[in-house]
Amino acid sequence: MTNLALGGMDAVINWARSYSLWPLFFGLSCCFVEEATAFTSRYDLSRFGAEVFRGSPRQADLLIVSGTIFKKIAPVVLRLYNQMPEPKWVISMGSCCNSGGMYDVYSVVQGLDQILPVDVYIPGCPPRPEAVLEGLVLLQEKIKLERPTRRILHLAGGSQGGRRDHLRLGVDKDRDPRGPGYQQVPVRGSSVSPPGFEDSRARNMWTPPAPTVEFTPVDRSLIGQLHQRFGDEVRVQAASNDHLTVHADSAQVPEVMRFLKEQSEPRHQRLEDLTAIDESARRAAQDRAGYSLVYQAMSFDNASRVRVKALVDARRPQAPSLTDLWPSANWYERETYDLFGIEFEGHPDLRRILLPHDWEGHPLRKGYEGRATRMPPYTQTDALNRQPLDGGALVDSRGGELMVLNVGPHHYSTHGLLRVVVALDGETIEDIALDIGFHHRGVEKMGERQSWHQFIPYTDRVDYLSGAGNNLAYLCAVEALAGIEVPPRAQFIRVMLTELYRISNHLVYYGTFVQDLGAMSPIFYQFREREMIMDIAELITGGRLHPSWFRLGGVAMDLPDGWREAVKRFVEVFEERLEEYEKLVRQNPIFRKRTEGVGVLGLNQAIEWGVSGPSLRACGLEWDLRKKMPYAGYDKFYFEVPTATGGDCFARYLVRVAEMRQSLEIVKQAMEGMPQGRYLSDDYRYHLPEKKDTLQDIESLIHHFINATRGPRIPQGEFYHAVETPRGEQGYYVVSDGGNAAYRLRIRAPGFANMQVLPGICRGLTLPDLVAVLGSWDFILPDIDR
Amino acid sequence: MDPAVFKPWEMELLGWLIYVGMVLGLLAAFLFMAWWLGEKRQARDKDMPYECGIVPTGSARFAFPAVFYLVAVFFLVFDIEGVFIFTWAVAAKDLGFLGWLRMSLFIFVLLLSLFYIWSKGGLTWGRRSPGNPAD
Repeated sequence: MTNLALGGMDAVINWARSYSLWPLFFGLSCCFVEEATAFTSRYDLSRFGAEVFRGSPRQADLLIVSGTIFKKIAPVVLRLYNQMPEPKWVISMGSCCNSGGMYDVYSVVQGLDQILPVDVYIPGCPPRPEAVLEGLVLLQEKIKLERPTRRILHLAGGSQGGRRDHLRLGVDKDRDPRGPGYQQVPVRGSSVSPPGFEDSRARNMWTPPAPTVEFTPVDRSLIGQLHQRFGDEVRVQAASNDHLTVHADSAQVPEVMRFLKEQSEPRHQRLEDLTAIDESARRAAQDRAGYSLVYQAMSFDNASRVRVKALVDARRPQAPSLTDLWPSANWYERETYDLFGIEFEGHPDLRRILLPHDWEGHPLRKGYEGRATRMPPYTQTDALNRQPLDGGALVDSRGGELMVLNVGPHHYSTHGLLRVVVALDGETIEDIALDIGFHHRGVEKMGERQSWHQFIPYTDRVDYLSGAGNNLAYLCAVEALAGIEVPPRAQFIRVMLTELYRISNHLVYYGTFVQDLGAMSPIFYQFREREMIMDIAELITGGRLHPSWFRLGGVAMDLPDGWREAVKRFVEVFEERLEEYEKLVRQNPIFRKRTEGVGVLGLNQAIEWGVSGPSLRACGLEWDLRKKMPYAGYDKFYFEVPTATGGDCFARYLVRVAEMRQSLEIVKQAMEGMPQGRYLSDDYRYHLPEKKDTLQDIESLIHHFINATRGPRIPQGEFYHAVETPRGEQGYYVVSDGGNAAYRLRIRAPGFANMQVLPGICRGLTLPDLVAVLGSWDFILPDIDR
Repeated sequence: MDPAVFKPWEMELLGWLIYVGMVLGLLAAFLFMAWWLGEKRQARDKDMPYECGIVPTGSARFAFPAVFYLVAVFFLVFDIEGVFIFTWAVAAKDLGFLGWLRMSLFIFVLLLSLFYIWSKGGLTWGRRSPGNPAD
């Protein structure tokens, strides 16, 4: 009788619980976008009882952790789980979250279940929104098997709220990303792991040398000026693959850079990039000398770049700081210090930036272990002990007089894992500091061990809202280095997809920005058009967020039947829909009041800090790489570069909306003018040949075999290529020493440069203004932290 | 006690007392159920305020800026206005023109003080962006 009563109550309680799930999001990366999509009108999550995500653990009974868990963020995940009320359940979403996925790299935790107990795993990279719904159904089934009544009435027995234990390494959990049972088999790819490369047969392959560029008259004039000013202290590299490269003594670099910035003709106003290369594992013994520092400066006057390289000694890696010349050098130097251990004299605040403050070692040194599965496991004990730095250490609270408040890393308005620490006087921000690196996926280290083809999927994930556009940046650099010609049809396909993804990115920007300011409806509407774009991407590439569909020399396949109709349907409705959305927002007095004159960035300030993309154009400068330094066939398209004046949140919004219209024009032109012909270059030295060719002749089959297994050998050299992504200038600096993987792969992410200026423009604003500025900025964390 | 004192009220008072008893009983039942049924787990993290997953800095007991108090006090002052206006409004017809005049004077004085506070900057909250000295 008792059992019957308790069983009946169990059924009632379980029914109520399984249809009223209140999920707390812990969105770490790409998966979160699909998780968020599951909440939009097309997928309708409300059938599970939840209309919106819960922002705080106090309100939630289900924790959905989606994406890659980093060693820096793991303590935060665990704390949020511990702060939830009982009973509670956990869903681990995406292959990264389940096991580290494709990111078997030093900074990534190999599975959420090492830190806290997981009830349901959703596989995939990233799983589709439907998979999220399926995961919730599975959780409902699981909840219905629980026996909560006895626990509720404090009787013995019973069960509720998912698992209690977490997995233990070596006992019931394996760190091998391939799953359990592989302990005796070496981890894949060991033959291409640095610093050895001993087993690689790539060195036996022959390739033609990388093409070099002729110096332009401007270059020659600049060389003359440098010689006149510095004499023999600056050596010009005779042949360069991309642009003028000069070598200098590291002590001389600040002088040279000051000359290039302030006196030379043309003047180089922006520090484009600053990074280093560990030379100690070079193939040729005579090249193994310490670290090379690589400085790049950019001229707005005639759209040209110049590179300055300097060697520093490996025994005492030190160089003078550039921070008093360019404020933007601050973060670049901190990053170089963090990853290479090179110290910069005169830097105001030289400490780690991407890795946790208590991290040991410098991971981009060649001798550093890259794989997390070969390092000591990251366990729950680590997550409890290795806490992020106290907020009081990052901002000036005037001796505790001001309120120190952490906004993020887990916060709606930070659009990812960004931590903003503010010192508040009332609502006014007196001091502010950014803490980044919660999303550091070590992608530059991965680039040194994945072969040239294998690395393409990693570029997708660097900026997961821009999809195919990321492939383009990487491929442009490698193709230019190897001298690969891309046929016109492939160029048009690439441009069309890139622009579709630009629209999709700006739609998410639009929706989330307006949502940050308090309007809920636009984001739900905008995901409707975004899903149309995702459907087109799926039709053509088979993927949604991460198509990984561009290849060296072209694209993976030809366009499928029916692509034109799908694109046409989108092109026909989009302009009208955009008008509607504009009506919802643009004249709204609250929106205007909260954005106009808020977070003003001046043009000079923007250039000094290295800001690029729409945020720069919102300061009034018409600067777009697609126009100024055309690549990938953009010179065949007609479009305008929208700008706005004011540099405030409203101007940034205006520029992005206008850009969507321009991108739509480009998509139209690509659709209408799509040329016939091959979608892949017919020189198969570096590509994955067309399958039908491999069935016809043995040469193609051999190339397919070699390029798909050990990967192509890219000739020695280095190339920096930047493209205009939705967020700004994303540059890939690929260095090859003639191997089947990059010797060094540097990503100049637009977000990293754009973010540095934020504290400066947020001081003196109020807390709600900070939310508006963050929303208007359109940053994405994997792009900043890489 | 003289029963006549309660005569016209007798039943109603009893009813009221029963009502009060029921309310208190229900409240006690709710509080007891919430206390007894919930799972009780003590943990360091659980007792900590939610601050985006980071250990908070300092305590919540520190000197708040006066602007919060000013706004609170102004709110109270102008809130009382409502008490008088609503009571007057109920009997507005009976009080006639003279009542209206007195109420208008009352509102006028309050409005005057509101404008005074406004002009003194008492309603200014925080500061707006000061612009960029660099440009």
